Amino acid sequence: MGDVRGNSNSNRPEWLQQYDLIGKIGEGTYGLVFLAKIKANRSKSIAIKKFKQSKDGDGVSPTAIREIMLLREISHENVVKLVNVHINQADMSLYLAFDYAEHDLYEIIRHHRDKVILSINPYTVKSLLWQLLNGLNYLHSNWIVHRDLKPSNILVMGEGEEHGVVKIADFGLARIYQAPLKPLAENGVVVTIWYRAPELLLGAKHYTSAVDMWAVGCIFAELLTLKPLFQGQEVKGTPNPFQLDQLDKIFKVLGHPTPEKWPTLVNLPHWQSDVQRIQGHKYDNPALYSVLHMSPKSPAYDLLSKMLEYDPRKRITATQALEHEYFRMEPLPGRNALVPPQPGEKVVNYPTRPVDTTTDFEGTISLQTSQPVSSGNAASGGMHGPHVMPTRSVPRPMQMVNMPRMQPQGMSAYNLASQAGMSAGMNPGNMPMQRGVAAQAHQQQMRRKDPGMGIPGYPSQQKSRRF
Amino acid sequence: MAANFWISSQYKELLDQEEVDVVHQLDKERGITLDDFKLIKLHMSNYVARLAQNVKVRQRVVATAITYMRRVYVRRSMTEYDPRLVAPTCLYLASKAEESTVQARLLVFYIKKLYSDEKYKYEIKDILDMEMKVLEALNYYLVVYHPYRSLAQFLQDAGMNDATQLTWGLINDTYKMDLILIHPPHLITLACIYIASVLKDKETTAWFEELRVDMNVVKNIAMEILDYYDGHRSISDERVNAAMSKLAGR
Repeated sequence: MGDVRGNSNSNRPEWLQQYDLIGKIGEGTYGLVFLAKIKANRSKSIAIKKFKQSKDGDGVSPTAIREIMLLREISHENVVKLVNVHINQADMSLYLAFDYAEHDLYEIIRHHRDKVILSINPYTVKSLLWQLLNGLNYLHSNWIVHRDLKPSNILVMGEGEEHGVVKIADFGLARIYQAPLKPLAENGVVVTIWYRAPELLLGAKHYTSAVDMWAVGCIFAELLTLKPLFQGQEVKGTPNPFQLDQLDKIFKVLGHPTPEKWPTLVNLPHWQSDVQRIQGHKYDNPALYSVLHMSPKSPAYDLLSKMLEYDPRKRITATQALEHEYFRMEPLPGRNALVPPQPGEKVVNYPTRPVDTTTDFEGTISLQTSQPVSSGNAASGGMHGPHVMPTRSVPRPMQMVNMPRMQPQGMSAYNLASQAGMSAGMNPGNMPMQRGVAAQAHQQQMRRKDPGMGIPGYPSQQKSRRF
Repeated sequence: MAANFWISSQYKELLDQEEVDVVHQLDKERGITLDDFKLIKLHMSNYVARLAQNVKVRQRVVATAITYMRRVYVRRSMTEYDPRLVAPTCLYLASKAEESTVQARLLVFYIKKLYSDEKYKYEIKDILDMEMKVLEALNYYLVVYHPYRSLAQFLQDAGMNDATQLTWGLINDTYKMDLILIHPPHLITLACIYIASVLKDKETTAWFEELRVDMNVVKNIAMEILDYYDGHRSISDERVNAAMSKLAGR
């Protein structure tokens, strides 16, 4: 693995020659993600995650180390597969190559909410959940806590042999929790706020695999309703894990936790120090089932409420969840979550990931003046070159593989609003959100590079991507 | 993996003594013998431990770092990968892998403090460059199981809690050899407990019999550790220096 060394004399490291770069599909705090094809096997798509070189002379980022360390040891059908690691000595960057997954739960949910305006087929929901739990069960039985489960980290394979198979991705925050040298809480606060377990919000120091199960519960609810279950507003820029609004959103739906039901609650730092604010305002009629429009007697509701159990010690485990009645009744979960086995069922065609073909592996925007693009795009594409950054970031945060959603600089407010499905009025930065104009320009950047690119007159794929 | 050594990369990559005791061609050309090779690795293990004491990381980090260093030299030559750079780099990488990150500049500070010799002098950039090369040489396998893990449980079970410190010390010394590349860690633990029981005159035969492990392997490891202690007396600074002097200058 990865015995190829970068060639410092050329722009393209040697190892890169084995891939055809298609374009950028994502960007996160620690780097970029690219879509590439293996030259030797054109049908095989690879997602390449590039870790930025560290700024302050601290070498390979601990996030990358953690991810490599775990992924080199684990192997499971429902966990993303690390196929290669590459090092480019020339610019001290590190590349992780994964099997490419065309979809993820964030995009699938969004597609149903905004495009088809139809809930996700019960077979698909159940199959996605089962596979997610199956992968998580594997991780937990190997003492690995993921710590950052959210819809965008749950990938689903596109057409091919593994069509509709769930892959848990992004192990940048994952930990082995047997005999850690430091309390897990010292690594800083983790888990995207909406999916964060109450014990974390209340400042728990030693947490367990139960935090992942809480996140699965939130994701399950979101698959059912197409809306995040607990959309709290994050207080940023504080190391304090205490997030009052998020807790409040949870209490509103589930009611207040009580020391009777959750005995160790009284030991949690914020339960004690913030008695006034946490225990003050009581919600009278908490009702998870009414939020979900479900019968409280249905097996799906029973399973969900067990995932959203306050006391982490009582919360259902992945092993137990897989045995739940919900998975034993029709429709039974299947391997291809996207295509129900029964003929005649409507199959939703999910859009493929948008690809920014103007960014190369170095992460620099190429103007690509020599790139033949049909129907006048060449001109506008070229013209837009210098403005690519703002254009690219406006339409929506780009979806990515294995990475947190892209947070273009200065655009975080919009990003939050768009994720939350909030109105423009909730946009504190007053960022312009005119989808029409921006999307038009955007689309030109978002076309998947055609394999025939470079042959004059060969029309580039005009497959429109979700705009 | 984290819970199960038997499906770990470490288990799959265990080597035979003959595979570990191979002096790289380039090193042979510099006159480095198998004895020199072992001596240099021993000396570098001590170097890692000394540095670790100064930057204050725990024994598990030291053990992981030494394991990395020994693994590197199964695949790479000392001529191309100067041990005086590889050793601190392995400590640097191990500190990240074991969640106790030490800053490179701190390491560089203590390297300069501990060794005035120019040959040990490396800068932050050298460590960062070498970090990537080490990662590559390790084939990106970073999880290491150590004999410490099962120690407390075994001692408790054998009724030998009073031998904890002694056994812990014995385990520390096993990193001066290549045992961790060759044997499953729990067998190293048992070999150390076996030695401790002999030293403390404890009767443990029945306990070992119940374990259903290959006692021949345990005894062989124990013999090797005892051989090391015997041979250790003859290791003089002169011998170490002679071996080190065969390494390439910079």
